[in-house]
Amino acid sequence: MAYRLIGKDFVPPDVPGKVTGRIKYAEDYARDGMVYARLLTSPVPHGRVVAIDASEALAMDGVYGILTADDVYPDGEPQSTGLKVLTNEPTLMGEPILAVAARDEITAENAIAAISLTIERLPFVLDPLDSLQEGGDNAYNGGNTFIFRQGFAEEKWTADQVASFRSGNEPTAEAQQSWEYGDLEAGFAASDFVHETTFSTAGYPHMSMEPRSAMAYWENGKCYLHGTSQSLSAIAEPMAAIVGVPLEDFVFINEATGGGFGQRARAGSIPSMAIPAKLSQKINRPVMMRVSREEEFTIGGARQGLQGWVKVGFKRDGSMAAMDMYCVSDNGGKGGGGDANSAAAGVSALYQTEAMRFRNTSIGTNTGHRGAQRGPGENQIMAIMAPIMDKAAEELGLDRLEIRKLNAAQNGDVSGPRSTPFTSAYMPEALEQAATQFDWEGKKGRSRQKNGAKVRGLGIGQGYHNAGRSGMDGLIRLMPSGRLQIHNGVGNLGTYSYASTSRAAAEVLMMEWENCDVVTGRTDRHLPITSPQDGSNSIFTNTRTCFGAAQDLLAKMKEIAAMDLGGDPADYEIDGSRIYQVADNTAGMTYAEVAQRGMELGGKFTGEAELPEELNALTALSVSRLAGTGLMGIFHDPRHNDNPPGFTVTFTEIELDKETGKFEILDMVTVAECGTVVHPQGLANQLRGGAVWGIGLSVLERHLYDPQNGLPASSGYWQSKIPTYLDTPAQIGTGWVDLPDPENPVGARGIGEPSMGAVSAALNAAISDALGGHLFDTAPVTTDMIINHIAGVSEEATPLAQNNFRG
Amino acid sequence: MGEIVRYKRDVWGEEVILGVSWDLLWVVAVAVLVLLAAHAIIMAALANKKMEKASSEGRRVLRHETIDRLFHWVMAASILVLIATGTAPILGLRIAWLNIHWIAGLLLTFVVVFHIIRSLFWQDFKSMILGPKDFGEPFDSSKKPGKYTFEQKGMHWAVTVVVLAVIVTGVLLFLQIDTPFWDRTNSMPEDQLGLMFLLHGLSTLALIALAATHIYFALRPEKLFYTRSMVSGWISEDEMTANHDTSLWSPKEAD
Amino acid sequence: MPATSHDVMPDIELYQPTDEENALELASTLGDDGWIVGGGQDTYGWLKDRNKSPAAMIEIAQIDAWKGVKETADGIEIGAVTTLTDIANHPLVQSKFNLLATAAGKVASPQIRNVGTLGGNLNQDARCWYYRRGLDCYRAGGNICYADSPEGLNREHAIFGASRCVAVSPSDTAPALVALDATMVVASASGERLIPAQDFFVGPNRDIVNMTVLNEGEILTAVRLPNEWANAEFYFEKVADRNVWDFALVSVAAAIKVSAGAITDARIVCGAVECTPRRLEAVENAIRGQQRSEQLADQVAAMATDGARPLNYNHFKVPLMENLVKRAIRG
Repeated sequence: MAYRLIGKDFVPPDVPGKVTGRIKYAEDYARDGMVYARLLTSPVPHGRVVAIDASEALAMDGVYGILTADDVYPDGEPQSTGLKVLTNEPTLMGEPILAVAARDEITAENAIAAISLTIERLPFVLDPLDSLQEGGDNAYNGGNTFIFRQGFAEEKWTADQVASFRSGNEPTAEAQQSWEYGDLEAGFAASDFVHETTFSTAGYPHMSMEPRSAMAYWENGKCYLHGTSQSLSAIAEPMAAIVGVPLEDFVFINEATGGGFGQRARAGSIPSMAIPAKLSQKINRPVMMRVSREEEFTIGGARQGLQGWVKVGFKRDGSMAAMDMYCVSDNGGKGGGGDANSAAAGVSALYQTEAMRFRNTSIGTNTGHRGAQRGPGENQIMAIMAPIMDKAAEELGLDRLEIRKLNAAQNGDVSGPRSTPFTSAYMPEALEQAATQFDWEGKKGRSRQKNGAKVRGLGIGQGYHNAGRSGMDGLIRLMPSGRLQIHNGVGNLGTYSYASTSRAAAEVLMMEWENCDVVTGRTDRHLPITSPQDGSNSIFTNTRTCFGAAQDLLAKMKEIAAMDLGGDPADYEIDGSRIYQVADNTAGMTYAEVAQRGMELGGKFTGEAELPEELNALTALSVSRLAGTGLMGIFHDPRHNDNPPGFTVTFTEIELDKETGKFEILDMVTVAECGTVVHPQGLANQLRGGAVWGIGLSVLERHLYDPQNGLPASSGYWQSKIPTYLDTPAQIGTGWVDLPDPENPVGARGIGEPSMGAVSAALNAAISDALGGHLFDTAPVTTDMIINHIAGVSEEATPLAQNNFRG
Repeated sequence: MGEIVRYKRDVWGEEVILGVSWDLLWVVAVAVLVLLAAHAIIMAALANKKMEKASSEGRRVLRHETIDRLFHWVMAASILVLIATGTAPILGLRIAWLNIHWIAGLLLTFVVVFHIIRSLFWQDFKSMILGPKDFGEPFDSSKKPGKYTFEQKGMHWAVTVVVLAVIVTGVLLFLQIDTPFWDRTNSMPEDQLGLMFLLHGLSTLALIALAATHIYFALRPEKLFYTRSMVSGWISEDEMTANHDTSLWSPKEAD
Repeated sequence: MPATSHDVMPDIELYQPTDEENALELASTLGDDGWIVGGGQDTYGWLKDRNKSPAAMIEIAQIDAWKGVKETADGIEIGAVTTLTDIANHPLVQSKFNLLATAAGKVASPQIRNVGTLGGNLNQDARCWYYRRGLDCYRAGGNICYADSPEGLNREHAIFGASRCVAVSPSDTAPALVALDATMVVASASGERLIPAQDFFVGPNRDIVNMTVLNEGEILTAVRLPNEWANAEFYFEKVADRNVWDFALVSVAAAIKVSAGAITDARIVCGAVECTPRRLEAVENAIRGQQRSEQLADQVAAMATDGARPLNYNHFKVPLMENLVKRAIRG
């Protein structure tokens, strides 16, 4: 289809602000009388606050007040995992215990240093397997795991069971969670190559440039909260509930967010924003709480680490006949995360496994708050799976591209425990296109080629994430000025999807983009509900809502035109910001005139009547506040069918120096298969940004804890080893298949997360290739591991060690 | 004056003992110097009233066997080395002290164990026993001691207690460092570790005081013959009869 | 238990002397209470986390006399507050002592090199994270090492010369200066002393709380590079986890004089393997008089790690160090 806006580059409205530095993040705001809060955080990985003596601190000049867990939870803290606003029962080091407000941060820090905290130390644990073992310590007060609707529980294996798993065998204990499809036994029986191994992947924290800083003040009973999020509207209602204020009295302000990473999507993942709100309410002054990088590592989120066992069977032709996976997931100090399940579902989707079994047990540790982080599960497992695919290809004498094509998802295919069909799938096309762009045929002969101490390695990676939701609302207004106001609650994370999804509305109405305003940034600009901007869903979900709202508006415009100019609504067409009769294009009205007329008519035209049923409470509130202010398009999106996938393919070539363990990425190409491309520059950015993350997962990033005392070793960027410019290739080639998806009105599907997974997979495969097919069965594969492998040296590390070096 | 104990924060931020306050080193040094100087002055003032010094000429009796003299001097050397190496970093001297310190410590431990065994089975242990009677000795000029005077016994047992304390704490601290024999661990809790350092430090201070006192007396003119006996083994019969009760100590003749 | 706090500068006096005398007088008067600041890249973390609490900072970056590169009768002299970027880009350094220019250009990141000084790079404190976290370990005056234990996170730590503390020298320029046989110019209110680079750094066996022999009140003001090693054949390589903004896992700096095909003299120094830059005299002796070749490199590399005592997680440093020494000899 020929689109005017979809598939075209544009300058999203926040770009000038970002380039000039004028855009405001939460901590850029100030308010008269504003004071500053600092946090006192837990000095122990697991403990119970016995007493807080803040009398000296509160007597200090310039100190305005203190907020403790007793203030936040007068009836006691919720007895569940999950982050709390403040706590007296910390289960990870650095968890906020109290906040002090003072005239400036130095005074607040001095006050905190004067507080005497009595804390009872409780046993802590850093490795899920240590906790699983009989007699092992538990991370939580009441167990080492939390079962939904049941509460805390204790899960224990025998010492032999743990030792057997650590030494490379299939776990024998019953898993907490499992699913299965197909005939696993028959699958392995039919396999010509079966590979079985234990593996581990590191958990590591979010690295968003903007920490979870927040500022809040109260005016006339309303709470104004400047914060960060992955969706303004999805977060508003639950955040209001955490602050303890009705939705109609809560204003959330968030023009831009410096990185989402997965856990700013839901209010429960950033309850710390309630600290300035509650403190402000208590001391009746605006409160700014700037969060330090170190604090971000504990009150922010972290990827789950996996300790697992896989057994994969391939038939002679290379098809994956059976896959058996057992994971122990690190649930960290505050619970949460479904990475293992997503990992298994991802394998099923990417490799079209004929029979599959998945088992998982989630265990808490006194480490970071685990939960979603870009491609949670899928992106870790692909780094493990890609080298295994290569081994299978080598054993079966197949080309590495061919074995992937053979197992690739296509239209009509299904995946996952419920054999959910894809809305559409073009993985073979993506593989082919990426192979061409990379010149696989020309380059594959360089595999394992030596040049002095250096050796070439080639890798192919694939990424996947379920990438689309529905059931949200759309809200747009045509103004008497003729401008279109597109209300959009998608977060502004730098993906530009708040703007690119809005273009679906402009496309429907054939509006010039210059005549459109994206209304966003704060909830008192009246936003419709959106799904949280996680799970790579925004482009799919919110083009549906914007498209639907525009169609509603168009129908109303046609109705008005027919009413005023005669004929049937179906007799009218639009173009050039005019609506006119098909038969006589002089009989028409400008958009400005239609809007004016709509406002005169009122009722359903201006949101005052006949609203769609099932509108979300937030959308309904927004509509009610906007009622009468313009000709309104309102839409509640029905549920879509099936699974809209986001697929990626990455090819890479590296040159590994066997003397230093270092490598250079010589070439990298990522091709996306995400339906119709809405915003090419935005997509290319996603693919390149995802590549940087993928490099981090594959070879660099980690968050280490000292087993002796539970201290986190990383308190800043450099210790966490996020990739830098010189660790990433100067050029990362991008491309896309660009075939429309039938479940989306503009054919689009999401891509954010898979753009990372394909790269981590490709890079680990390339390292394995350079080392003659050696499988590390872990991520990240760090410099020291490569050196040790080549030198035949081994460190004295615990096998499958979690949150520590793995040797 | 500073505190006696130094504290630090353990890994959890709680206050635990770090060790002895080394300000005490100066306190001990000054106190010992003052006391010994006072003793020297008083002794000088009393010097006229003193009896003639016993002659070192004539028949010689054996006071210390070679093996015991050897023990004494090895122990003395190792203690002086231990004190020197242990206090060097406190005094701000940048020397590689630790290896010398623990090697000297091992030597000291070895010879002390040797001495204990020998004294229990091969030496006249009773001669060193400090009984209630002995406490009358300094106040009654008619009473003479057996082989060892009250002061000597007192010094011996004080040194015994203090040396055993530095050895026990020293060995426990030795286990906390890397050596050619083992790799260290952090198995000792920080509060216990601090206590070990404190006791090691306190006993070191006591040992410094005792060593200084011992050296002082060893060099005093009226005691010099004892020092000579620790070098050559003998004292003269005159010296014996002037200072000891031969009914309580009857040594064999020296070679 | 007192509360801990992080990441906010405390109230602190700041002195910004503009002449040498004033700076040295301040250093002498303030003694231990004064903290010398060059570019501040090692300073602010300590102070903001309140893990070191001096009463005052003496910022010496404005003292022109301690800045810049100048030619002397016997070589060149580099002021201690010259930025690493200026050193890396200086034509005189590049043309005669490119080893140092290369090493300076590998420090941290461009932003840090733009403000970080040579003196700061040489005097920076250990990067052991336990120590940096503010724990009262040996180096902080305590009585324990958290890193040197079977469970300690000691991947980045020493394989040589540990004595209770197992931290390593983090500097990239230090091995280069030792290889170039530089002389450190150290000034104090009472005068000036010259210290060979090799003797400037001190290990924990001799001084467990300081990494250099600088005494209270002393300031490193300049580094002199003798012409003796100018335009020797140089080799510098730093292997770190990341290619920017990281400390070396192992680095090597070598200056080798070759005449008529044979090595007449050599100085080879490794960084990040010991608390001080580690000079490899056995290797130097073994290659003197030999032809520079692959075979020679292979023959002598093992000498470099003779006596290494790796900790639980840093065995990799042994082969890595041998490989880097091989590369330095191979050229």
